[in-house]
Amino acid sequence: MPFQRYLLGLGFLSPALLVLAGLFLMPVALTGIIAFTNMSISTGVSGGAHVITGNLLTGLRDDGVEPAALDRLAETVFEVTPEALARARAAGVDPAFVADIEERLVGRRFTDGRAFERELKGLPHRPRAIRDLKVAADLFGASILNTRFADAAAARQAVVGVLPDAPEATVDRIVAASYTGWQWTTGNFARLLSSPDTLRLIVNTVFYVAATLSFTVFVGLFLAIGTFYLPPATAGVFSVLWLLPRLTPVVLYAVMWKWFTWEGGFVYTAAEALGLPAFNYMKGSVPTAWTIVILVNGFIGASFSMILFSSALKAIPIQQLWASEVDGASRWQQVRYIVLPQLRWPILFVVSYQTLSLLSSYQEIWLTTNGGPGRTTSVWALESFNTALNNYTGDLQYGLGAAMAVMLVVVGVTLSVIYLRLFRFDDLVGRPKIEF
Amino acid sequence: MRLTICDFTKTFDRTTVIKDMNLVVEDGEMLALLGPSGCGKSTTLFAVAGIHRVDGGAILFGKRDVSHLPSQKRNVGVVFQNYALYPHMTVFDNIAFPLTIRREGKADIDRKVRAIAELAHIGDLLARRPSQLSGGQQQRVALARALVRQPDVLLLDEPLANLDARLRLEMRSEIRRIQMETGITSILVTHDQVEAMSMCDRIAIMDQGAIRQVATPSEMYRQPASRFVAGFLGNPPIVFLDGEVTGDGGFASRGVSLPLPGRLRHLEAGRPISLGIRPEHVGTSGGARVSGQVVFVEPQGRETLFDIELEGGAILRSIQPAGDDARVGDRVDWAVDSDRLLVFDRHGNAV
Repeated sequence: MPFQRYLLGLGFLSPALLVLAGLFLMPVALTGIIAFTNMSISTGVSGGAHVITGNLLTGLRDDGVEPAALDRLAETVFEVTPEALARARAAGVDPAFVADIEERLVGRRFTDGRAFERELKGLPHRPRAIRDLKVAADLFGASILNTRFADAAAARQAVVGVLPDAPEATVDRIVAASYTGWQWTTGNFARLLSSPDTLRLIVNTVFYVAATLSFTVFVGLFLAIGTFYLPPATAGVFSVLWLLPRLTPVVLYAVMWKWFTWEGGFVYTAAEALGLPAFNYMKGSVPTAWTIVILVNGFIGASFSMILFSSALKAIPIQQLWASEVDGASRWQQVRYIVLPQLRWPILFVVSYQTLSLLSSYQEIWLTTNGGPGRTTSVWALESFNTALNNYTGDLQYGLGAAMAVMLVVVGVTLSVIYLRLFRFDDLVGRPKIEF
Repeated sequence: MRLTICDFTKTFDRTTVIKDMNLVVEDGEMLALLGPSGCGKSTTLFAVAGIHRVDGGAILFGKRDVSHLPSQKRNVGVVFQNYALYPHMTVFDNIAFPLTIRREGKADIDRKVRAIAELAHIGDLLARRPSQLSGGQQQRVALARALVRQPDVLLLDEPLANLDARLRLEMRSEIRRIQMETGITSILVTHDQVEAMSMCDRIAIMDQGAIRQVATPSEMYRQPASRFVAGFLGNPPIVFLDGEVTGDGGFASRGVSLPLPGRLRHLEAGRPISLGIRPEHVGTSGGARVSGQVVFVEPQGRETLFDIELEGGAILRSIQPAGDDARVGDRVDWAVDSDRLLVFDRHGNAV
């Protein structure tokens, strides 16, 4: 009955598959797609229009487009057309003055603003104030600079109108560059590879993961073994105390650390009273900021590993400990030769699980130092989050952030595969015990 | 080395489980601590090992008082019921552990481990891990580990309890062989009378935290000091009849009358006593006779076990070489070996 068996298996798996698809595969796929675009807050996530801006022209000039053509694109042309006259009337320019313009200048075209203004000054109903005259003159000006064109064809027409004798390639280049929507690109990865910030971020991330992980494993081991040898009541009190970081909601936990380390906080006040350097430890210096980042995350990890190690310790039969004492082992030798070797798998598990979760977790850092002072305690995941979703200037770069996230996923998946081999996952998943 | 337990008292959470216990195990002797579950035999063993603290009295190895030494300093070898082998070490490392801890030389360790493994017949298993061994092999490894550093005392805590019946028979003689070859003073804790009787020079029988009798196996079987000892030893178990002494040096109870053993004929009439009758003393030979009806037959292969109901309602047990001479419902008239009857007073002490 293989079919029936597969169906039952699928039935059991379906909730997990749904969760996997919705919460892992889809976001990963979307991130993967966005990583190959230049999406940002200015391109938007839907389509765009064509706009030639001053910045664009500067960029094109830097890229080697003929400067003369670009200058002409930037020029304003004054043309007395019926539309422009209507615009002037609607704007409240003296009707008599408008009538003068219509009568004497209709159909005329000026490429120089001064020349047009001179003509206007010669009209009988010209305004007294020069300012009013300039306002009126501006109403006849038109430029393709900062004009929105709905599609590439309209933009091309406008550019060709200004530059009738420009080569085809130049026009194409200008039109393509004027697109404001997102485009496919591998530029994000190129930028990450070439940016000097990348190396610093990687060093920061490796340091953060390694230091926090060591704290987690060593403190967890110390606590688990310590409480294992304590009388049960005392051990219970210690265990509960050390569980608090894990039990406390993360935001509250971060706020408590701030109370602890900021100006006027507990440590600050204590240090001041003792004559030790007192400052905002969280943001005041790089070593204290790193210490706090590692402690904040390490305490949470330590309570997690303490639980795991404690339960593994309780699984060691008491007779083995007795036997080792009878065999002459001191407490330290007992821990070294009997207890620790049997904690090998839980330690490996904590190391692998915590590496992955530390690599991708940034919330504690975000809520405490937020990568500061400067960007000294920023890590890859936090930087990715800030780039894509939480930029102070509001310039959210979805594409670049997604590219960073994709690299994190690649590293994470590679590490998981290594760890699964280390754990001999195929051994863990044995043959089913129930036969259908 | 002679082991002396002197006025030993053990208390758990203010409950005294063993009070003023005295016991001597002679040099090279193997002594069984036999008793029902919870009688304190393992507690005594662990106190000798130093795993449990001594709350009163003294424990001496030879002339050395070890009462307050930690187990690391006592030089005892212990075999635990579940063997307590270190699962992450090979057999070699398990056996070598006590020597490694003492930082003995590599060559020395290698020589000693191989010698003791040879003695325990596990010389070819040294590279394996405990999980790759059968129960009997694990047992041998545990024994080798306990013996490798030549302990003053070898302590065995129910070493055969986790083995199947066949292996148990094999290991019984193996442990005894190894103990005799090494000549190490040993204590065996067991609840199995057959183990105790077959493996040990002497048995100390315990009940409710006290030693009831210390004797050689056959002496204890033939002359139990109390009704408890008589009832604990023997399979199928002894039958007790409560009654009193009659004028002519006999015993009467609920329609049964039997002569007392010759040495007890002088007991005064009317004294309440109880009679212990072992199954092997009914139905084979002897001067007295009982008659009754067979109510139960249990063939055991070489022998057959009968329950017979006497006229007064009392039930006697008899074990006889197999034959098909009696069936359920048959009336029988069988001999009783009255000289081997056991007699206890009102308090359960042997008369």
